[in-house]
Amino acid sequence: MTHPLRSRPGDVAAGGVPRSGRPEPTAAPSGRTGGPRRRRTWTWPSAGAFAVFVLPTLTVFTAMVLAPILWTLYIGMTDERATRPNTSFVGLDNYGFLLGDEEFRHSLWNTVVITVIVVLLTNLLGLAIALLLRRQGRLYSLLRGVYFTPVILSAVVVSVIGRAILADDGLLNSTLVSLGVKSPPGWLTDPSYAIYSVSGIMVWQLLGFAVVVYLAGLAGIPAELDEAASLDGAGPWQQFRAITWPMLAPALTINTVMLMISAFKVYDQIAVLTNGGPGTDGTATVAFEVIRTAFSEQRPGVASAMAGIMLVVVSIASVTTLKLLQRREVNL
Amino acid sequence: MNSRTPWVRPLLATGVAAVFCLPLYVALVNAFKTSAKVVGSPLALPVPPTLDNIEQVLQRPDGLFWYGLVNSVILTTLSILITTVLAAMSAYHLVRSGRWWSRAVLGVMLTGLMIPPAVIMLPITRILNAIGLMHTMPGAVLVNVGYYLPFAVFVFMGFIRSIPRELEEAAAVDGAGRIRIFWQVVFPLLRPASASVLIFLGVWVWNDFLTPLLVLGPGAGNTVTVGIFRSIGPYQQDFGAVFAFMLLATLPVLAFYLAFQKHFVRGLTGGATKG
Repeated sequence: MTHPLRSRPGDVAAGGVPRSGRPEPTAAPSGRTGGPRRRRTWTWPSAGAFAVFVLPTLTVFTAMVLAPILWTLYIGMTDERATRPNTSFVGLDNYGFLLGDEEFRHSLWNTVVITVIVVLLTNLLGLAIALLLRRQGRLYSLLRGVYFTPVILSAVVVSVIGRAILADDGLLNSTLVSLGVKSPPGWLTDPSYAIYSVSGIMVWQLLGFAVVVYLAGLAGIPAELDEAASLDGAGPWQQFRAITWPMLAPALTINTVMLMISAFKVYDQIAVLTNGGPGTDGTATVAFEVIRTAFSEQRPGVASAMAGIMLVVVSIASVTTLKLLQRREVNL
Repeated sequence: MNSRTPWVRPLLATGVAAVFCLPLYVALVNAFKTSAKVVGSPLALPVPPTLDNIEQVLQRPDGLFWYGLVNSVILTTLSILITTVLAAMSAYHLVRSGRWWSRAVLGVMLTGLMIPPAVIMLPITRILNAIGLMHTMPGAVLVNVGYYLPFAVFVFMGFIRSIPRELEEAAAVDGAGRIRIFWQVVFPLLRPASASVLIFLGVWVWNDFLTPLLVLGPGAGNTVTVGIFRSIGPYQQDFGAVFAFMLLATLPVLAFYLAFQKHFVRGLTGGATKG
């Protein structure tokens, strides 16, 4: 690979330095990479190509994601708020305030409850339905489509449907009343139900995603494994424990991490279904609290500190889960 | 279960799916009923069906639906086309050059995959204000492009690694420039990845709520998804009209999804099996 005559274009840096060698910081196009064939236009890391191919992406990404993250962390260390004329740097004061703030702790707890319910229930139901649909034929492919439909709907659409059904005078309660129930519960207004209603609506929307991923995982299990097991006298439960479940490890990883990230950042559903209620923070999640504090209450300092905490929690939680589940995949 | 009672599985599968479907069924049939019938018998079929709700949405005096539709189409089309082109070009260059800083750029971009939008919305509005793009369509496009680039780069990255270099080398030997090689040789090869990216982003951008709500704001009119939210007052319970609005707002994305369905599911399940 290091011989210039045998080198492939991608292996060779500008100026003919092999990939294993020290990269040339200038990255100027040298004109040729050596060898009998002249490859004038084929020197990969040139400043001009980088400017054309990568710089636009890097600029937009930096302006719209990277810089905002850093700026959020900075604003979170100031006492900026609408009612205060001067803003000053306060270090980690906002973080200290938030750790003792009942409302914020409540929103963190709400987020954890929603995330746990969504991850566990969606995985469980998704797996059960995938096992049920694990057959060929027109009926089963139709049913797959049925489960997937809510996934492509907007969270706003799903939440408005959910609200029409679960509101105090919604379609569920009007049906219950006509069936003779005296005072049906306020699914979205009673503090002991609201968060479970919100979680249930999210599970309903995300279920099709989990089903499709599990079905793909099931399709990847060789039929011979199950046949051999049943020849050896293994019952359905033993087959599931010994073959199906371990072979579904990659699907479990994808579902768990994706569901976790979707559940943790939930905003739309809260805005449509409960607007954070019942009360001030019955179902308010961290994302909802961040937006409300930043834009409605005009307290950017505190809101950005919340965003900082959210960023740390979501990073640690998703990376840890990913590593743990991937290690489980390897250990099979 | 299969050998002795072959009818159990199809029956159970259909029954569970029917219960799952109930909310969709309720939304669909009640879009074609009068308000009295919606509340009185929400589960009944719409006989005879009425188009009053649909007409009412299409003829709203504030034009909430039509302005929303136009804005959604423009925002979605621009966002997904620009993101796809930028992501394909940068992923190609970063994967093929293979230098340490390419890997560093890729690594930094991939951390963007899990950033919740709420975390960065406040600084984004300030940056847009500073460059004069707040409450404008280009501003909203810019936010979408930046936010969805990591996902698109991630998809293209995996795909580019699987295509051989020989075609590019041959084109280079024939004297084609780098940009021509990309457009005439590489980009056509990336078609399956581009389709996945376009369909995913199309659905996401169309359905997005928080970004257009805050970035497009009230002035420029908003997307049809934000329109749904605006069409429901805090206490308004004219379910028929709300369902009709949602149906009309969802039809374009539903048609788009059905047209490209196979790319969607393939993109989704790419990593679900053990290689």
